[in-house]
Amino acid sequence: MSEHQVGIEAINFYGGSAYLDVRDLAEHRNLNNERFENLLMKERTVPLPYEDPISLGVNAAKPIIDAMSEEEKDKIDMIITCTESGIDFGKSISTYIHYYLGLNRNCRLFEMKNACYSGTAGFQMAVNFVLGQAAPGAKVLVIATDLARFMAVSDGGALMEDWSFAEPSGGAGAVAMLISNKPKIFKVDVGANGYYGYEIMDTCRPIPDSEAGDSDMSLMSYLDCCEAAYTEYTKRVANVDYAKSFDYLAFHTPFGGMIKGAHRKMMRKFCKLKANAIEEDFERRVYPGLRYCQRVGNIMGATVFLSLISTIANGDFTSPKRIGCFSYGSGCCSEFYSGVVTSEGQRLVQKLNIANELTNRYN
Amino acid sequence: MSKEEIFEMMKENISEIIPEIDVDSIDMQDSLKELGINSIDRMDIIVDTMEALNLRLPMVKFGRLKNIEEIIMTFMEEL
Repeated sequence: MSEHQVGIEAINFYGGSAYLDVRDLAEHRNLNNERFENLLMKERTVPLPYEDPISLGVNAAKPIIDAMSEEEKDKIDMIITCTESGIDFGKSISTYIHYYLGLNRNCRLFEMKNACYSGTAGFQMAVNFVLGQAAPGAKVLVIATDLARFMAVSDGGALMEDWSFAEPSGGAGAVAMLISNKPKIFKVDVGANGYYGYEIMDTCRPIPDSEAGDSDMSLMSYLDCCEAAYTEYTKRVANVDYAKSFDYLAFHTPFGGMIKGAHRKMMRKFCKLKANAIEEDFERRVYPGLRYCQRVGNIMGATVFLSLISTIANGDFTSPKRIGCFSYGSGCCSEFYSGVVTSEGQRLVQKLNIANELTNRYN
Repeated sequence: MSKEEIFEMMKENISEIIPEIDVDSIDMQDSLKELGINSIDRMDIIVDTMEALNLRLPMVKFGRLKNIEEIIMTFMEEL
């Protein structure tokens, strides 16, 4: 029975130890605030000097590992770190995390990269490893860990208005997930995947401590991919309806305003609804996933999973519900996929008390 | 449809999305960004205009355009 079941057995999020109210930041940087509310950003995690992608990843994964028996821990056959904040061209963050978690050495350790798509790339590789049955019963620890590297330059024409909004939207944090044939939290719809990728220079990290790119182009490419990846999903899954097949939608969330725009565009295109109905749909199906994202900021490869956690914690799962997930990474690659969450999954996620954890960060 | 007609259509969409903008003072040479319109609102203006023109174009075609005229010319190439 369990051979064909796969998904998230355990999940945890670590959102750093300090945050900033982004309205204070926008005021300080003299950003145009007139329509700032529309961007739906509230807080951003600010990594302190002692925090890096490794410490974020370890903090996300450790509670999962600590809750496992020695026998279960030994079933972890791979640790995949997913990041665009790598600390070395060659050495993978997964090696450090494996060390700090004290796991068995018969374990594959490696890292995945494709901007904000990295988390989904790692997740899907883990899902396929479990489904492939090459190592029956094996589990995979997937850790998406990222932090914004954008340093605002105080003067100089390079800091365009829209790019300067990248600073308030950038966050830090990590999501760790145990992928196995016991999908207590999120049961993957096997084979229900639409992917879409092509070469585009929208955003990138050509040097260690900064980001570069074209935020406009990135938004446009995100929108194109949102439509194209979902369209491919509908070719592989019978009778899909964007409005009815998914009880919730978890988006990769660079900032709230962007997913509101993307959702609006998708609803207009696929459901032909009027503005009020789209707004109501956003509040009901998308906003539950936005709640934690707008308190953390963009955590790149981990963001779509933070949105998933937020959806599970804040949605209504008294009966099993299907969640549609959209992931986009600059450069670019994207994917629309789905899975089912039950009340048991919600109970496990609510136990994490993420909202409290976020409130307890230093301001 | 003429350039001017599409321009009028865009101005209508701009005023619907951002009522506080005085659309009569907008020139075709203006860039939406320089008018202080954020990227989400710019996206909506383009989507609304495409819908009214019954056009379907990849959004990345609009990613690097300098001003309103270039947006209009991109629409016109497809009409």
